[in-house]
Amino acid sequence: MTAAVALPPAPAPRVSDLRRDVRAYRAMGRAAFRSLVAYQTSFLFGLLATTLAAVAMLYLWRSVLAAGTINGFDWPAMKAYLLVAFVAGSLVSSYVDYRMAGRIQQGDVAMDLVRPVDYQRSRFAEALGFGGYELGTGLVVAAAAAAVFGGVPAPAHQSLGPFAVSAVLVLPLRFGIVYISALVVFWTRNYIGVQSARIALITLFSGGLVPLAFFPGWLQGLASALPFAGMASTPALLYVGRLAGADAWRAVGVQAAWTVGLWWLGRAMWRGASRQLTVHGG
Amino acid sequence: MRRNLWLYRRCLGAQLRATLEYEGDFWIMSVAALVTQGMGIVFLWAIFRAIPQINGWRFWDVVLIYSLVAVTEGIAVLLAQGAWSMAVTVNLGGLDTILVRPYSPLLQVLSSQIGMNGLGNLALGGSLFVAALVRVGVAWSPGRIATAAFVFAFAPLVKIGLNILTNCSAFWLKTPWSMFPFAFHTLGELARYPISIYGVVVRVILSVVLPYAFMSYFPATAVLSLGSTSWLGLLTPVAAVWCLLLGRWAFRRGLLRYESAGT
Repeated sequence: MTAAVALPPAPAPRVSDLRRDVRAYRAMGRAAFRSLVAYQTSFLFGLLATTLAAVAMLYLWRSVLAAGTINGFDWPAMKAYLLVAFVAGSLVSSYVDYRMAGRIQQGDVAMDLVRPVDYQRSRFAEALGFGGYELGTGLVVAAAAAAVFGGVPAPAHQSLGPFAVSAVLVLPLRFGIVYISALVVFWTRNYIGVQSARIALITLFSGGLVPLAFFPGWLQGLASALPFAGMASTPALLYVGRLAGADAWRAVGVQAAWTVGLWWLGRAMWRGASRQLTVHGG
Repeated sequence: MRRNLWLYRRCLGAQLRATLEYEGDFWIMSVAALVTQGMGIVFLWAIFRAIPQINGWRFWDVVLIYSLVAVTEGIAVLLAQGAWSMAVTVNLGGLDTILVRPYSPLLQVLSSQIGMNGLGNLALGGSLFVAALVRVGVAWSPGRIATAAFVFAFAPLVKIGLNILTNCSAFWLKTPWSMFPFAFHTLGELARYPISIYGVVVRVILSVVLPYAFMSYFPATAVLSLGSTSWLGLLTPVAAVWCLLLGRWAFRRGLLRYESAGT
């Protein structure tokens, strides 16, 4: 719909159009990656903050599990679980939503409406670009933390397949939630509040701080059906081998379904949002 | 002194009126604060479903520490949120206006903002604080009540002092973002749990270098008489004054470096 504003109506997508699109998105991803590297001081202080929070969790769980195994988790498995969740949580954690929210609040988003590229795909391309850097730094921090806390076990070999699929799905799934929460700014015109509530909900219900197995049954069932579980719990459980066989593939299936569902929900929201955009002044 | 307090109240009052113009924002921020603090409690509850205590700390003991951090956050955000505006103020040369007014520049900066998430934090933190005091299972002798009133009154000042200190980094970093002080703010959040769970380096940082533990852990140990170092909690007022003085010292050093924005 947005593309139609600037482009003459094309009868059918041609191969050269597709190639042009891919080139445009790739350039956006690269630009996003480079901008993150160029202004990395701020990003790295942000990373330091999340790292400190993760370290607190590691210490807390070390004390909790000092007495022995609880709910099937011993200390080495818990370390691995928390660090996988940390790396998963570092994806799509910077700037995609900030930029979107800022441009919506300032009204600059009107310029995005006339660009001959798809808005959602452009933001996703940027998320991939940022993601490259976020993944790299996240892995370095996780490796350092693993070294400080006495190493972590290797991934469970029986669930390597589903783990690989699940790991790949984390970024698009997180993008889905982040994108939708940034679009909410069209209605609330406030982002900090929306963002902090979103972060709190994700942190708890993704199992990033406490495995969902610690919740009472009803809450566990609810949490594993929500989109949040796929953002940390599913890949982390697969890594430590707590999910195997049919259960593993079912969890990955839920994760994939939410990834696709949130993508289309985001598309629908954008269509509604761009109709009621308010731009102040001129 | 009286003039200072009166002016401070007037500045905050003006900010409050400005803030309440955006009623929608106020509600969103309050709900966000409730959700954030609520999730933290669900987290603690999930852990304590599985084990009765961590290093001798039971559920309500930890809730007491946790709620102290929430209340402190609420107070700091309502009364001294301006500290977090320092990065932008310095970067854009906004101190120029402040420096020509006949009122302490530091107090002007501190009263230049009111955080809208303050009331949410204060409401939930306060309820948890009261609930925890009822449930911790200590005998409330007059002496203990006096101790509690004494140390808990000073605890929030520790955080306000450290907020000033870390945000003064703006004078040296000169970026318009507060990511550097925010990293320390997150460090302070480690004081939401009994610091005895941490390694020795982290413990020394939290109790001596940047004594965030004096806003929650140490005052709580003094009131609950938990652990061998519970007397340290009585030093909370000393820590509070020390942090405020450090903040003022850093601000003055920063002012000497301030050179406005060349426009």
